[in-house]
Amino acid sequence: MDYLDEFFNYISSVSPAKLVRVFWFFFFFEFVRFFLVDFTTVLLWKLTAVFRKQRVREGRNLFWAEKPLISIIVPGKNEGKHIFKLANSLKEQTYQNFELIVIDDGSDDETRTICNSLKKNGLIDIFLSNDVRGGKASAANLGLRYSSGKYIIHMDADCSYDRDAVENIIVPFYYDEKLGAVGGDVQVRNYRESLCASLQAIEYTDTISIGRISQSQLGIYRIISGAFGAFKKDALDSVGGWDIGPGLDGDITVKVRKMGYEIHFEPTAICQTNVPVTFKALIKQRLRWDKSLIRFRLRKHRDVFYPNESFRISNFVSFVENITYSLVLNFKWYFYLIDMVLNFTSRLIFIIPMNFILYTINNYFKFIVFSLFRQRKNVKAEYFMLYMPLMALYFGYFLRLVRTYAYLQELIFRRSYEDSWNPEKSSRQAKSLKL
Amino acid sequence: MNTSTENIKVVDHKINYNNLVFYVIDTTNSILNIDHTMGYDALILDASDPEYARIVLKKIRSHYNPEFYLKPVFLLNFKETKDPLLNNMHDGLMTSYDQVVTMSETAKRIFLKTTQLDNQLIPSFEGQTVKKVLNYMYTRDIRTLKPIVDLNSSIGYTYPELSINFTNTEEPQVLEILEWADREGLIWPDFYERVYLCNNCNSGALSYREVCPHCNSSNSKSEDLVHHFPCAYIGPISDFQNNIDNSLNCPKCNKTLRHIGIDYDKPSVIHHCNNCDQNYQDAFIKSKCLSCEDDIDVKYLVPRTVNIYKLTRKGRSAATSGFLSSSQEVDDIFGTINMQTLKIMLHYELEKVKESPAQKTSIALVHLENVFELYNKIGKKGERKLLEELVAVVRENIKSSDVIAFESSSTLYLMLTNTASENAEQKLKNLSALTENLIKKNFNGFKANLLHKVKMLDTDKKAEVQLQELSKDFFA
Repeated sequence: MDYLDEFFNYISSVSPAKLVRVFWFFFFFEFVRFFLVDFTTVLLWKLTAVFRKQRVREGRNLFWAEKPLISIIVPGKNEGKHIFKLANSLKEQTYQNFELIVIDDGSDDETRTICNSLKKNGLIDIFLSNDVRGGKASAANLGLRYSSGKYIIHMDADCSYDRDAVENIIVPFYYDEKLGAVGGDVQVRNYRESLCASLQAIEYTDTISIGRISQSQLGIYRIISGAFGAFKKDALDSVGGWDIGPGLDGDITVKVRKMGYEIHFEPTAICQTNVPVTFKALIKQRLRWDKSLIRFRLRKHRDVFYPNESFRISNFVSFVENITYSLVLNFKWYFYLIDMVLNFTSRLIFIIPMNFILYTINNYFKFIVFSLFRQRKNVKAEYFMLYMPLMALYFGYFLRLVRTYAYLQELIFRRSYEDSWNPEKSSRQAKSLKL
Repeated sequence: MNTSTENIKVVDHKINYNNLVFYVIDTTNSILNIDHTMGYDALILDASDPEYARIVLKKIRSHYNPEFYLKPVFLLNFKETKDPLLNNMHDGLMTSYDQVVTMSETAKRIFLKTTQLDNQLIPSFEGQTVKKVLNYMYTRDIRTLKPIVDLNSSIGYTYPELSINFTNTEEPQVLEILEWADREGLIWPDFYERVYLCNNCNSGALSYREVCPHCNSSNSKSEDLVHHFPCAYIGPISDFQNNIDNSLNCPKCNKTLRHIGIDYDKPSVIHHCNNCDQNYQDAFIKSKCLSCEDDIDVKYLVPRTVNIYKLTRKGRSAATSGFLSSSQEVDDIFGTINMQTLKIMLHYELEKVKESPAQKTSIALVHLENVFELYNKIGKKGERKLLEELVAVVRENIKSSDVIAFESSSTLYLMLTNTASENAEQKLKNLSALTENLIKKNFNGFKANLLHKVKMLDTDKKAEVQLQELSKDFFA
């Protein structure tokens, strides 16, 4: 009871200036970027929707008038068990002029038998199989090589799609000629499976979906998810398709951006996916994702910062924002921590819970406010309310620690080249050629 | 007795030696008629022209008369050939007429064995054919029917002793007859090979090829898929080839491919159909029948086992003791009963006639004498159809209380109730004429010989005995 009294006394005695001094990291960086900026852009996006409506309608009419052939590429290893479901769900699409290309990347299960059977029954248009695994990029490139569509959609085999997802992800190309790629909205299907999945569902709903609307509006949208992304075939051909991953989703998006194309996030093109259900699997996934920031943003595509002829301010800002908020601030947070430990040692027992409360309030507030902007929800907002307090730990500590570890591993040891996600033969080449 | 080699002379195609008369067949003889060889003890066939020798040998060995098909035949001037018939269906090879000395011993041995043969006629096509083969094997001390690769055979294999009775295209029938003999317990199969036959014409002359799964065309180009590790480009090898030199250059990153397994590999193969422009990896395997030109999915080919057959104990004794064959194939023809039921019905009929002596019942046997010649041509399905039509004709001309039973595919029995033998005789004559006409009309003018015999049911004898008496004249 004494502690609580003291805690409340401390809160009531903190002046606004002192509050900012103690929680400067939150107020100056996180609140500004992840709430104010996102909120403002999303609000503007919502308010200007009426002006886009006509353009979108015209684009949709143009799309239906042309009825372009779309190539849907699904690369993967040992994904046979998912393909039947996927092919069946695609039969439900409102737009049917597509060819489904499934690439088997050296599966060692029944994938080949299943896919051949599906092809025989007309559920798959092209099925190509490599006896030896070459990695996801090469599998996607093989699909691209044999595709005939004007637009290419990259899908993951274990995802499912809204009935109008294919239509909605292609329509933007018809009202904005400058677009080279469009990303779909990825939602979490298995959010009830575990606590870990529920927390990710909140992350996807809040930060990822809303964040991408905001980034798209600001022209700095930089990762088209591999689970659901559409590309102009010309754009993909001009960049030579996908390069070696991990992190090839972000890499291809940057490559398309560098060719001068715009990138758009389409929140009405909805895909549902399964996320890792254990923290162990999640750590593995995030380490892979986070390492690619160093590998691709800081190393492979560092020319984005150079003032050469292909320099584009949007690419520059996108990279600066990405590196600042993901890399610089990640490490700066440790400075904040040191600052607190050194300067507010005696008050830490109050600052830490207060920090937690501050983030939680912010998270609730953000979630409720952003709920107004969501196009379609696969989960009722109330479901997540219970989990919201944990998000401060999830974002503030768990993901931050994973990110820090990933950055250090990649900065010092270039560990992404050892990731078993890619076959060793490709990684060895990529490492020696510094790709 | 002439046993000196000095006196061996060919006079008017004949050689007399050791009480045997050898007849010499050479190209000066007509190959169309071999009847003039009747009465000679053995034949010497000039095989300088293998084609000629083959035709003559086939005519002799495929003859229905044992006087011909069992006759010792020696080949003179035989040259090495791949023809299984020439290689296997002779009794000795000669390089000069002097060798008649040794050949005469062989001929005598065959004669001796021929005299031991049982002459019973087996009342079915299969039975007769198998008996013929067994007779030949017995007289030549052959105990195994071995398949021999034969490019002229429609199934690719031939059993010379049996196949000689058929044309090359009828080889599938040979397998059926062997299966029949196996079911009868005369021979014992030992797996030798499996062949796949056209499901339309039973030919084994099939051309297997990979075809496009979209249009079935075999006009395709196959290429290796090449994966360039550094840039993850993957495509057919033609994407990497240039017109200047033999180097492979990546179309995506322009690097030269150096070392398979290090900077590139070939994870798969892709086919491009030149007919429909589709790409595919898993080609369909189709087989084109070179006989009827049907294009068949391999899963629909008819698998047949080619066995080595050894004579069973029953098979070994069948040549000298005869054998009883079953008539399962003809038991279920609509409108007929089987022999067992006929015997039971005859038994009851006998009891009825005993009680009412005024009632006259006749039994009759109809035998299609040369029908096997026709069965050879029309095959098993045609045979079945013919028998069904035959039953339909007979049924139309007898009372509904009369019964028909097949003993074999060439022999049937009739029980004609309330019919005296004179009436029955007349009825049978009419039926024979009708049947002969039917066969003539439906089978390209084939002239069938129908024999029949009628007998009044005798109350003093058992039914089985009376049936045996009826068949005695035909098959004794």
